[in-house]
Amino acid sequence: MTEELRVSVDRRDAGAIMYTKGYINNVGGEEIANRAYELMDGGVRTLLLNLRETKIVNSIGISILIEIIEKMIEKGGRIAFCCLTPVIHKTFQIMGLANYATIFTDEDAAVKELAI
Amino acid sequence: MHPLATFLNDLQQLERSPIASQGSLILNAFTRHTRFDAGALYLRDARGSEMRLAAKSQCIAPEILDGAAEDVLQPAPHVVVPLQSHREAVGVLALGMREGNGVDDDDVAMVRTAAAYVSTLLTNQRLLQETREGDFQLKYRLWELESLYDIGLSIASTLNIDDLADEILFRMISLTNARRAALFLREDAGGFTLYRSFGEVRADFLERELSEQLMREGKALTFEGGGECLFPSCETFVAVPIKGGNDAFIGVLAAADRETREGGVGAFEENELRLLSLFANQVAIALENARLHREALAKQAMERELELAATIQRDILPKSIPAVDGIEISALSRPARQVGGDYHAFFIRDGVLTALVADVAGKSMPAALLVSALHAVVQLLFAEGREIDEIATELNRHIHRWSAENKFATMIMISIDQEAETLQFVNAGHNPAYLVADGKIDMMKSHGLPIGILPQTRYLAQTRPFPAGSTAVLYSDGITEAEDVAGEEFENPRLEALLEQHLGCSASMIRDQIADAVDNFVGEAPQKDDQTLVVVRRV
Repeated sequence: MTEELRVSVDRRDAGAIMYTKGYINNVGGEEIANRAYELMDGGVRTLLLNLRETKIVNSIGISILIEIIEKMIEKGGRIAFCCLTPVIHKTFQIMGLANYATIFTDEDAAVKELAI
Repeated sequence: MHPLATFLNDLQQLERSPIASQGSLILNAFTRHTRFDAGALYLRDARGSEMRLAAKSQCIAPEILDGAAEDVLQPAPHVVVPLQSHREAVGVLALGMREGNGVDDDDVAMVRTAAAYVSTLLTNQRLLQETREGDFQLKYRLWELESLYDIGLSIASTLNIDDLADEILFRMISLTNARRAALFLREDAGGFTLYRSFGEVRADFLERELSEQLMREGKALTFEGGGECLFPSCETFVAVPIKGGNDAFIGVLAAADRETREGGVGAFEENELRLLSLFANQVAIALENARLHREALAKQAMERELELAATIQRDILPKSIPAVDGIEISALSRPARQVGGDYHAFFIRDGVLTALVADVAGKSMPAALLVSALHAVVQLLFAEGREIDEIATELNRHIHRWSAENKFATMIMISIDQEAETLQFVNAGHNPAYLVADGKIDMMKSHGLPIGILPQTRYLAQTRPFPAGSTAVLYSDGITEAEDVAGEEFENPRLEALLEQHLGCSASMIRDQIADAVDNFVGEAPQKDDQTLVVVRRV
């Protein structure tokens, strides 16, 4: 099983899709944050995080994701998630991420709704 | 815009700035909007214990403010203003002018006004931060509870430990903020197998000393790490025993490298140890459920096999009693389990009736297999036209050669020749059968070893007169050794008394009387052995 988080980005005209693979913990969360802030600095205001290959997220990872969402909202942008495992989906709901970021079942639905 | 309004407007940027850059933002605003051009700003740290240097300009200032700012800063500041909330001092601002000493009351008043505003902003921000952290912690506790609840639901809905193990491990890692974790299960031999892991784990390093300590303490414990341990190079790790029914030690859950918000790793906290213990309880229930499920499946499979064997054996036993002129035949077969070790058969050749009762050693499937073999060989030998002594001899050789060492059968065969008015019998280690003729009861005792004991055994048939009105009673030891609730056996004298009481009765009457007598004797006691009874009477 992969322990280190790997991130890849599909930059599009109207936004970006970020794919994560691995554990979203402190290290993984920082990696996502760094890539997200780079995208924001580059003008991205719609960011979709596809967590299809992430099975675990801890509280520190969640707090970093919240910071990223807040940063994007400050900039007038929007963050969404898709392809969450049932456990992570429920975690996001309980921890309040779902209040500020839309959660989609699959990437196609997210891309269509976000128009990216 | 009024200079003070511009000043306060700049300070308002605090609300949107990261905490790390607040010090320089505040000090820059003061040096930009007042005549002060040097100074230092101290802010109370997150733990609330120390005033830590947040920014400085054109002065020498220690990292921690320990004493009056006027005494420790160089050059000494012209004005020192506490940043004060209604609860506590949140910081200290010290300002000075490098050129001259033209500080007037207006300068000081402006600094105090702006400082009061900064104090309010900082206090609000800290309160907001505390509220958010409190809210986060509350949600986090809810997440913990929900996770435990969900694990409980998962355990109730799946009996596959493989599916559950990943979920348990992932949730444990998530909730304890661990970077590495492992689930070990105990083998039958007493060692431990690494069942699931996350991150680098030494599969062969659950030391005996560690497992013994866990077993002794029976709770989650923290251990020193190092290069040579379960989680190589970790500082500390935690392990908790998984205890099944009757406190049996069935496995170990372990985790290492608990992340801190500062980016490093640290020791696990007490609440995380409690959480680990709760997870261990859940794993124990899951393992116990999975084990019981496996056993139930195995039992079902065994029962299906036994049912199949019972069907085969039912097909082996005679489905009906053969009709032979001048002879009444009656039989009873009651297996103690689904598959029994008793066997009986009838053969008719050239008007001669042969009846056979056998009892193979053992019960259930092994006994049924031997019964099947015995049935097949006897059928073939009769079809070849062999006499009963030859049949017994050949059967013995065959069973000895092809069956396991401890497999044997007792057997009695009788052949009734109505023309000659004789009965021939071979008794290979079986209970003595009864021959009732001319009002006398005689025994047909064993005169050879049971079938399958020694390969060279040769059996010889014995002959008795069997005139009209004579009766032969063959039975297995399940009849005479039937026990009542006190453990007393039915025994032969009771059987002989019944035969004496029913001299001249029909074969079916004799069978029913014996069966009823055995049932009445046994009462509520369970049937321990197969019961077979064959009654043959010349009319």
